[in-house]
Amino acid sequence: MSEEQKLSYEDAAARVESIIRRLDSGEASLRETLELVKEGKTLIERCAGELEAVSGELEELKLDDLVARLEAQAR
Amino acid sequence: MSEQQQPSGSALGIPGSALPGPYPVGEYAAALQRRLRAFTRVQLIGEIVNLRVARARAYFELRDAGGAVPCAAWLRDWEQMLARVGALADGMQVVVEGGCDYYAGSASSSPAFSFSVSDLRIAGEGDLLARIERLRKALDAEGLLERQKRLPLPALPRTIAVVCSQSGKARDDVLAGLARRGWAGRIVWAYAPVQDRYAAPAITRALQDLAASGEVEVAIVARGGGSLADLLCFCDETLCRTVALLAIPVIASVGHHTDRTLLDDVAAVSCSTPTHAAEAAVPIDCGQARAALANQTERLRANAGRAVLSRARLLASLCRAPAEQLARQRSSLHQQLRETRAAARRRVAMERELTWRRLAAVAGKADGAVHDARAKRPAELARLALALDAHDPQRTLQRGYALVQTSTGEAVGTAAAARRARELLLRFADSSVEAQVRETDE
Repeated sequence: MSEEQKLSYEDAAARVESIIRRLDSGEASLRETLELVKEGKTLIERCAGELEAVSGELEELKLDDLVARLEAQAR
Repeated sequence: MSEQQQPSGSALGIPGSALPGPYPVGEYAAALQRRLRAFTRVQLIGEIVNLRVARARAYFELRDAGGAVPCAAWLRDWEQMLARVGALADGMQVVVEGGCDYYAGSASSSPAFSFSVSDLRIAGEGDLLARIERLRKALDAEGLLERQKRLPLPALPRTIAVVCSQSGKARDDVLAGLARRGWAGRIVWAYAPVQDRYAAPAITRALQDLAASGEVEVAIVARGGGSLADLLCFCDETLCRTVALLAIPVIASVGHHTDRTLLDDVAAVSCSTPTHAAEAAVPIDCGQARAALANQTERLRANAGRAVLSRARLLASLCRAPAEQLARQRSSLHQQLRETRAAARRRVAMERELTWRRLAAVAGKADGAVHDARAKRPAELARLALALDAHDPQRTLQRGYALVQTSTGEAVGTAAAARRARELLLRFADSSVEAQVRETDE
């Protein structure tokens, strides 16, 4: 799992904000800018994916069903 | 009514039933009442639970671990008991005296069994609240009140579990809270009783299964409001220890405003309503988060574009700079050359002017000098002429002298020279005479 994937959603979002603050400061070199932009894009995609996962239809199931499904998978 | 008595009325019994009857229920109820009232009056000890003072009577349950009995006391008696013992409240261990009673009911009112209490005293140790407090202190001493609070709460969980009763408002309130956050992930419903003696074990088991599934990221335990008696199951020691040690965070929303249950203390978060519990389970607003991401994407793109563009412009300006610099230098040199030439021309002109002036000045002086000289010349000449005239041999001749010259014109100034010359020319003022020397040098 890459470094970006290990981060929780909130850590990833905070890192993006930190990257943008660094870029806005204008102090980053060209190389650093390009690396930060690349990292930022990856993190944003990660966060967007997390949001996408909880944006569709609400899925509801009972605990009994969950247990039965897990037992079936274990078999 | 004995079993041998014949029923009044003519209703037929259930075909095949060997039981006597059917008796009118009112008669049966009255008989039941008589039977129960005939039971021996006794004293009972237990805890007051669900105390409720109505208009005519005070109602409560007397409970212990083995069972419970519904109690009732006439209000007048109740107030006398209160006056004697002070406050009476849920959780107090009391001794009551009284006997069984049965309210037979009617066509429009419900029957009720109760233990009719005529007197009461407080039993001392065993206060429910005190017991809960002792358990709280014990759990705290073991550090179990803090463990759940150290678990990280995911900002955006994909699967949330809810332990609640299948009926009741808690379920709908949780759904409403999740909808407010714009969250539409997966909910696992773990329905369980939430207020009787079966509640604590059922909730404990459900939470253990949910944590063990490995798919649930946070669990909500939700119940609507109630008295402390109704919520006693959430003070169960086994349930509370299980929650304290659970691997996933538990958000408690058991709806008790005035007294905290032990579940409120051990859980990761304690909320006042199931709606708040849902909002605690999903701390971020998904709609706002999506908008923020879009904004961040745009800012990132703008920064990247700016970084390249600004440097490209700088490079372009740097490329132009040497040529511009050369052009500036060339222009500057040309200008200097023009100025130098102009200065030189001015200088030459100035020098020429100066030279003419000097010449003019000198010429002027020379003219002056010449003029002066010319003016003085005649007099000078006259003087010179006079001086010269003074030395003119002719003058000497005119004074009577003669110039002796040889025949060749050489002047003779001595007698010896004359003797040598022999032939002489004597020049007198008026003319010359040739002469011959008779004497000889002997």
